[in-house]
Amino acid sequence: MERRLAIKQVLILAGGMMVLPSCLRESGKASIELKNLDIDLDQENILAEITEMIIPKTDTPGAKDLKLHLFVLKMVDDCYEKKDQQIFSKGLEYVCKLEEGERKQFVIDANAKKEQLNGDAYNFFNMVKDRTIGGYMNSKYVMSNLVIWELVPGRYNGYFPVKNI
Amino acid sequence: MSNLNIDAVKKNTYDAIVIGSGISGGWAAKEFTEKGLKTLVLERGRDVKHIVDYPTTNKYPYEFEHRGEVTLAIKKENPVISKCYAFKEDAMHFFVKDNEHPYVQEKPFDWIRGYQVGGKSIMWARQTQRWSDLDFEGPLRDDFAVDWPIRYKDIAPWYSYVEKFAGISGNSDGLPELPDGEFLPGFPLNAVEDYFKKSLKDKYGNRHVISARCAHLSQPKQIHFDQGRVKCQNRNLCQRGCPFGGYFSSNASTLPWAAKTGNLTLRPFSVVESVIYDDKLGKATGVRVIDTNTKEVTEYFAKVIFVNAAAINTNLILLNSKSSRFPNGLGNDSGVLGKYVAFHNYSARINAEYNGLKEFTTDGRNPGGGGYIPRFRNLLKQETNFKRGYAAGFGAYRTADTDTSGIGADLKSQLLTKKPGPWKVGSHMMGETIPKESNYVSLDADKKDPWGIPQLKIAIDYDDNDAKMKKDYIEQLSEMFTEAGFKNIEVNDASQAPGLDIHEMGGVRMGHDPKTSMLNKWHQLHACKNVFITDGACMTSTSTQNPSLTYMAFAARAVDYAVNEMKKGEL
Repeated sequence: MERRLAIKQVLILAGGMMVLPSCLRESGKASIELKNLDIDLDQENILAEITEMIIPKTDTPGAKDLKLHLFVLKMVDDCYEKKDQQIFSKGLEYVCKLEEGERKQFVIDANAKKEQLNGDAYNFFNMVKDRTIGGYMNSKYVMSNLVIWELVPGRYNGYFPVKNI
Repeated sequence: MSNLNIDAVKKNTYDAIVIGSGISGGWAAKEFTEKGLKTLVLERGRDVKHIVDYPTTNKYPYEFEHRGEVTLAIKKENPVISKCYAFKEDAMHFFVKDNEHPYVQEKPFDWIRGYQVGGKSIMWARQTQRWSDLDFEGPLRDDFAVDWPIRYKDIAPWYSYVEKFAGISGNSDGLPELPDGEFLPGFPLNAVEDYFKKSLKDKYGNRHVISARCAHLSQPKQIHFDQGRVKCQNRNLCQRGCPFGGYFSSNASTLPWAAKTGNLTLRPFSVVESVIYDDKLGKATGVRVIDTNTKEVTEYFAKVIFVNAAAINTNLILLNSKSSRFPNGLGNDSGVLGKYVAFHNYSARINAEYNGLKEFTTDGRNPGGGGYIPRFRNLLKQETNFKRGYAAGFGAYRTADTDTSGIGADLKSQLLTKKPGPWKVGSHMMGETIPKESNYVSLDADKKDPWGIPQLKIAIDYDDNDAKMKKDYIEQLSEMFTEAGFKNIEVNDASQAPGLDIHEMGGVRMGHDPKTSMLNKWHQLHACKNVFITDGACMTSTSTQNPSLTYMAFAARAVDYAVNEMKKGEL
């Protein structure tokens, strides 16, 4: 087979396969289906506020724009042990009972690892922060615009000058 | 009626049968069909067609529901396969789930399997290092197992033969312990890998870091374009299957090549229950196949049968092929079938940081695996308190220097920093283990798999030699890292069960003497000359190199011999 023809065929096939669903989560629905967690819309909205405190909107989208709270819920629901899901739910219940100002203070204190915090709530915060960061870095927006992830780099340089970054 | 039977037999008769479509079966299929033989390839799993059956190959990380992670439910259902490094959301459809093919662990053994056309050649780590006579002569020199009936000169031309077709990238390093081959350009070492290479050379002389040789098309030739494969695009998403055919797999290379000859019949969903032995003819006549969907039993016939079912399943098929001549399994006059199984000891890693060479980082991705440290222990003579030695991987990389302690806009700008942190370096051990009679697989007397075939019992363990070797690896690599000025050295004694290395070998070993081995120097069963084994089961010893390249060469060489024997009327 001629080289150019082979490349063309591969690219056609590769390109064809890229037309696959890419925005499974961005359906605009108020909530997502959960198998294990029992979360109502108010709690979901408060979770969204907490993720927004972790990754706020600046001149680029923040957690709420990227629906990172739904990603947090998805991961906790599908990938965490029952006992951790219970801690998450209890922690979320705890922060939902706080007034808005108290809640903001709680996030600041939990991030500063302040003592005398509610244990479940503290662990809840760490799960949320961890998954919010992961969801952010692996979001389509960040991977397409800010820290570009390349599907086909086509190169490797083991002596790339740092000054050229 | 008898005419109908004769017709049925005729319809199910081929010149050659190959059991398994993985890396060695694919090669056997290519060689037989190219030489004009009508060949039936039996595969117990589903078909996986190149490109069209790689459903995740062009997905971005955010297109995976859990960004690559395996859910807790899947992990709990699959405690064994979940330990495999490549069992992630993007490639888990290529691995056998624990309950799909049960086995009995007399001792813990993580059996990692890929049941589909192409087998594990889709997800393999693509490392391809030749053996030398320092490996083939190992058992004789160091008094273990039995002597290999072949030497490097027997296999060297076949290494060349398979390398040219598969496409192997590497440098000619001029090391007798790791012979050079037919290489496409090697992937380069990076700044710190090169630095460590120089550091070892200066301080030890006989310890080397080379660019790992790998089955990637760094610069394809016409023979690769003819296969429909093009240059490796440095995606490092290989375990998903490559739409460019940038690395070698049965699916991208040998099987489509075999199909083009018109001589290939590929039958997926076909698990081989046993090889049929005819007492009167004194040879094997065919195989008994169970359709994995319908459970229907069909017999297929051929003059010659290659068993390439992957090491442990090849043992299973032979153990289950009982006849009045061979009550303990096909060709098992010696009683060694299923015994002397060995593997590679991958149970230690070491990581550290390096603060130098901060003016460099890497750009793009290196699909070749970075550095490879060939065996340096006991190489030319015995010099430690353990037998044999280990090879090691070596890699260096930098990640972004991110401080995640904050929240808010601060955290956001930290996450988006492109400033690289310190170089991180890591090595993993690839130790030779000594085949022993007490490391064996056998058939369970009662338990059956979903197709009514006896389940395998696996009893394989580390020994004192492995423990001493691991200790030495940790000491030597720690010293080598320290000498190079690496800091924050961390040893990870992973203590994983055998099996997770995915390099299980033996059970149907080669040897000179039919009393102590199963196969002769041409990979024929001593006692049943038209059955050949060229996958991991044939290995007399394991040495340290990733074994797949050697299986490819074995398969091509054995088919060449088999076809010549058939022409002479000997088979």
